[in-house]
Amino acid sequence: MVVVTPRVQVPSSVTPGKTFQVKALIAHKMETGLRRDNEGNIIPRDIVNKFICRYNGVNVFTTDLHEAVSANPYFEFYLRATESGPLEFVWYEDGGKLYSLAHQLVVDS
Amino acid sequence: MRWKQRPFLLSVDRLYCGEKNPAPQHTRRALLLTSAAGLATAALVPQAIAGEEHLASEHADDTVELIERLTGKTPVASDRLRIIMPRTFPNGYTVPLDIEVESPMTQSDHVRYVRVVAPRNPLIEVVTFHFVPERSLPRVSTRIRLAEPQFVVAFAELNDGTLLTAKTWVEVATNGCA
Repeated sequence: MVVVTPRVQVPSSVTPGKTFQVKALIAHKMETGLRRDNEGNIIPRDIVNKFICRYNGVNVFTTDLHEAVSANPYFEFYLRATESGPLEFVWYEDGGKLYSLAHQLVVDS
Repeated sequence: MRWKQRPFLLSVDRLYCGEKNPAPQHTRRALLLTSAAGLATAALVPQAIAGEEHLASEHADDTVELIERLTGKTPVASDRLRIIMPRTFPNGYTVPLDIEVESPMTQSDHVRYVRVVAPRNPLIEVVTFHFVPERSLPRVSTRIRLAEPQFVVAFAELNDGTLLTAKTWVEVATNGCA
């Protein structure tokens, strides 16, 4: 069984109102549902279909993923913050399972 | 002799429309050899260029039609939306994709979402990014799978409902969807 591990990279502190880069990666095989195993049976689809980043409890960046996103989906995106607060990252897998990660964002005052 | 040029242009047409096994070797070299074999280069080259322009416009129509089918709205080709991908990439499993939209991201002027489709993949949907004004910038990098050389199409919806579109040709050497 492959262990699914999410990882994020956020700057240790950010300037209020300035944009900063966030990198989010989850080790996931992203099985497309198009491949067949050695017996010719279709390997069922198993992908991460949604990724959400929340800041202070509000969605600030949402992604809908489809089969054509590479294995180990990786996103690099840019956010802007004015005050310190929790950043939450949630990945939704097919079948309702979810993986999440929390990070305390520090904004210089 | 003039008539002999026609099938050549037609087969280029088929090649660019992404047929599975295109007729081989419609390269610059083949073109030059053909012209050396009796055709005046000056007469042939403008025609070939005209042919390419014709192909480009044909593809634009395809893209517009596809986006209309997906969203019900007519998109506008725009250079505010930039889609940055390598022109050729050795494998189709992890093709880098960078998306950027020029937008101030204020409450009154922002990007709602950017959607990416790969029309020649077995499943054309790739990914959709949703942005929030004041909080996120419409700039993302990720990696996608491509089944064959094709135009990757992106379109962005602004808060006033305008659809911007852009596309880029990406050549992959191996199928990333098998």
